[in-house]
Amino acid sequence: MYIGNEMNRIDALDKVLGRPVYAEDLSAKGALFGCIFRSTRPHAFIRRIDTRAAMASPGIVKVLSCHDIPGENLFGIIKKDQPYLAQDRVRCIGEPVLIVLGETEEAARKALQLIEVEYEDAEVVSDPFLSEDSTALIHDKGNLLSRRKVIKGDIEKGFKEADVIVEHTYSTSWLDHAFMETESGVGYPDSKGRIVVISSTQNIHYKQKEISRLLAVPEEKIKVVQATTGGGFGGKLDVTVEGFIALSVHHTRRPVVMRFTREESFLSNTKRHPLYIEYKTGARKDGIITAVKVGITGDTGPFASYGETVCLRAALHATGPYEVPNVHVDSRMFYTNNPVSGAMRGFGIPQLAFAHESQMDEVALMLKMDPFDIRMMNALKKGSLTATSQVLQNSVGIIETLRKVEPYWRKRSKKEDRAGFGLGCMYYGIGNTGVSNPANACLNITGDGKIALHTGACEIGQGSDTTLVQILQEALGLKIEDIVLVRGDTDTSKDAGSSSASRQTYISGGAVFDAALKMRQYLDEKGFYKGRPIREIYASEADKKLLEHNGFFDPPTTPVDPETSKGSPYATYAFATHMTEVEVEPETGCCTVKRVYAAHDVGRAINLKNVRGQIYGGIAMGVGFALMEEFVPGKSESFDNYYMPTSMDMPDVEVFVVEDREPTGPFGAKGVGEPALIPQAASIVNAIKDATGVRPFELPCHIERLKMLLEKAKG
Amino acid sequence: MLPDFASVSPETKADALAYLASLDDVRVIAGGTDLLVNMKRGELCSNVVDIMNIEELRLLSGDGTDIAIGPAITHAAISAAAMLNDLAGSLSAACGWIGSPQIRNMGTIGGNLANASPAADLIPPLLIHDTVLKIESQEGKREERLDDFIVAPYETSLKPHELLTWVCIKGLPGYREGYRRIARRAAWAISRLSVAWAVREDGDRFVDVKLAIGSCTPMPFRPRNVEKFLGGRKKDDHTIGEAAALVVEEIRRITGDRPSFAYKLPVVKGLVQKALRG
Repeated sequence: MYIGNEMNRIDALDKVLGRPVYAEDLSAKGALFGCIFRSTRPHAFIRRIDTRAAMASPGIVKVLSCHDIPGENLFGIIKKDQPYLAQDRVRCIGEPVLIVLGETEEAARKALQLIEVEYEDAEVVSDPFLSEDSTALIHDKGNLLSRRKVIKGDIEKGFKEADVIVEHTYSTSWLDHAFMETESGVGYPDSKGRIVVISSTQNIHYKQKEISRLLAVPEEKIKVVQATTGGGFGGKLDVTVEGFIALSVHHTRRPVVMRFTREESFLSNTKRHPLYIEYKTGARKDGIITAVKVGITGDTGPFASYGETVCLRAALHATGPYEVPNVHVDSRMFYTNNPVSGAMRGFGIPQLAFAHESQMDEVALMLKMDPFDIRMMNALKKGSLTATSQVLQNSVGIIETLRKVEPYWRKRSKKEDRAGFGLGCMYYGIGNTGVSNPANACLNITGDGKIALHTGACEIGQGSDTTLVQILQEALGLKIEDIVLVRGDTDTSKDAGSSSASRQTYISGGAVFDAALKMRQYLDEKGFYKGRPIREIYASEADKKLLEHNGFFDPPTTPVDPETSKGSPYATYAFATHMTEVEVEPETGCCTVKRVYAAHDVGRAINLKNVRGQIYGGIAMGVGFALMEEFVPGKSESFDNYYMPTSMDMPDVEVFVVEDREPTGPFGAKGVGEPALIPQAASIVNAIKDATGVRPFELPCHIERLKMLLEKAKG
Repeated sequence: MLPDFASVSPETKADALAYLASLDDVRVIAGGTDLLVNMKRGELCSNVVDIMNIEELRLLSGDGTDIAIGPAITHAAISAAAMLNDLAGSLSAACGWIGSPQIRNMGTIGGNLANASPAADLIPPLLIHDTVLKIESQEGKREERLDDFIVAPYETSLKPHELLTWVCIKGLPGYREGYRRIARRAAWAISRLSVAWAVREDGDRFVDVKLAIGSCTPMPFRPRNVEKFLGGRKKDDHTIGEAAALVVEEIRRITGDRPSFAYKLPVVKGLVQKALRG
């Protein structure tokens, strides 16, 4: 009754009216402004820092360095190897060195210019392939951050059984998240002697923990609140402004505001990992894939961030949504002195989808098969073994997504020579990989007769607020007016994990559902479903603690084997097929994406509008990834020279929702946040090949690259 | 951050000229879609004279083929002007493609000319319309052909105390006109290269052809030798192919070879052929 409908997002009206206060809008009375002095060198030892002129500059209150950190200077989601403020050396351009605190933004930014740092340049590692054997160590233990393998069956036997073998190399570039709101926040000391940080973030509880380590104070002394957040895409998972703000408040006991400029955001924010993918596929004459061998080399920059996750996720998903009996994947992630790469929508899988979907088309071409049929023939189904030998028992909708686009594929016809059609398929494990990643949710009855939902799940624009409220409505049979949402505050909510890995609908949704079942039973016992008002139930309950019901969900996963990656790293997977029509102008290399048919198995669509919104956004991002977005270190400084799609580049989109229900998900739901993006670039690339006969192996395939490919093909 | 500066917003041309004569380190702002960006990047100027409130700089007048365009007219207004649609279609088109709606509502023809970017969208169409610029200062008036007005990339013959007061173009009735810009995305991007054309044909013959190429050479230019070559020739694949090759040769003659030409020259060739074919 409440789910699966076209309900407007609960934040829609406010946002349209411009009411929400974003982190960027925040200030506080008497606040200092903090800005960061950053490294201009990719790799250098700091020999001398002179802040005297900056300190003497009008309106400057303090300059903080690594020596002012009372606790741990190193942070990181998995491996704590990234300094908040450089210690004795800098390891990339843009690395923070000092915090300058001024009475105004102008004063602080002016003082930045007056700081002098003397560097002694060190050997720079700028290529992941040279990183392994380089004598220039970025970290003491060597330059290899992570190496993961996926081994299944017998790869040699698999290639022996193959009638055709297709082998190609694919590469991708750095991309910026380019969220609308740059990294921003405010902090202040509160009346209880705690430090409060309000910021633009995807994960409040993680940040609370990191700040507590940074300041060497108990977590209870730190409160983190999520402001209305203007986008994340993975770029607000790492600590951005929060640590600097907390440290500044700690030293000044005054409110502190920080707001990165767009240029600063481009310079300092984590990027999508550029991956270099060597891909070999073997197939029988009848189209059955017998073997897949993949080598992945990645560049994480000088700090781990989510590099290990990307290394592993890329490996686990390397075969795509197909059942392959013999698999060998070797995925390596290296440190370099390039920009820090981290989490970005899809964790390496959009890059791999570009490779495995290109391979599928090339195999089909060699076998003179229809690209649709070869996908259908090899697609995962109930009972299939994934590359990690996980048996898929439920909610395996890839074939159904293929069927949704099949009529359009079969009747496609080129109205012009320059038109082309391409398919892209994907699967994506929902939630974190082979580890416990629970969410909590809490419900309580309020004195004014409402049910309050407390969640730590960050709404970053993706729609989790609406989705969680709808799940609660459905479970309790309550109207929206009877629900109060209290979100994103470490004081009032328990950890829900990050808004990442397409996990909040499934996992936080599961926690809300769990709490709702308990609340439902309570309400039922108290006569609510026989007409007794909630207000009365509240008044009659002597022990107010009984009004509270906690929910918890942790998806059932098993860790993967460190050598072979055997295991069940995800409790459930999302599946999708995109079919894309492009038009390529051979004279100029301009590729226009005309139309996309996008079919997604989301388990159950809690909110159809939200699902479609995610898919439209994913397609826009996929157009950028395929055709134009490329962060070039040292050159890409702002939107002036980093091109991402505008509405003028957006194709017509038709969305098909497949609901192969996931038994462990709330009402059968899985997730769609990252899946929406993952197959898009792949389907564009395949459509370009169909239109022109040339295949791009390097992304983005912008106008110059495409034109060069066309010229080369002409001879 | 924008540096500190003072600004004035006169309502008459005479006042503007007086300010320009008396203020030191002064720049004219006519929309600011380039100037403010450059100032934010560190280009300093102490005084700014905003000419957007001067009615007489926002007029559009024409009698048949002689059209005078006020320099403070926005791109959006030009692309919507029926007279220019009829008599200067390539200029209308370029004004409709430049930047984004926000930029088209702020940016002006005078600003685009005075900024003199090699990638300026309005300059190629203005070149084929034989544009003459009227320039005034308190000392007097002068006129200059657009070809002479731009002296180097981002540099014009305008002196600090001078003001561009009219952009005078020749309408081209009976010509098939167009403008094509190439960029990495469909809109809101700097042109990687651009071509403006005006073609008059009689049956299967070119009568008169005007071409201008932007973003390939330090300043947008007209390959006049190619225009001459085409005049009176039969409109066939051979002529068109030869003309396109000549344009490329001319670009090479002007600038020598550049790394970007691996992309640009084949594309110019293709676009010129498309333009000529119609």
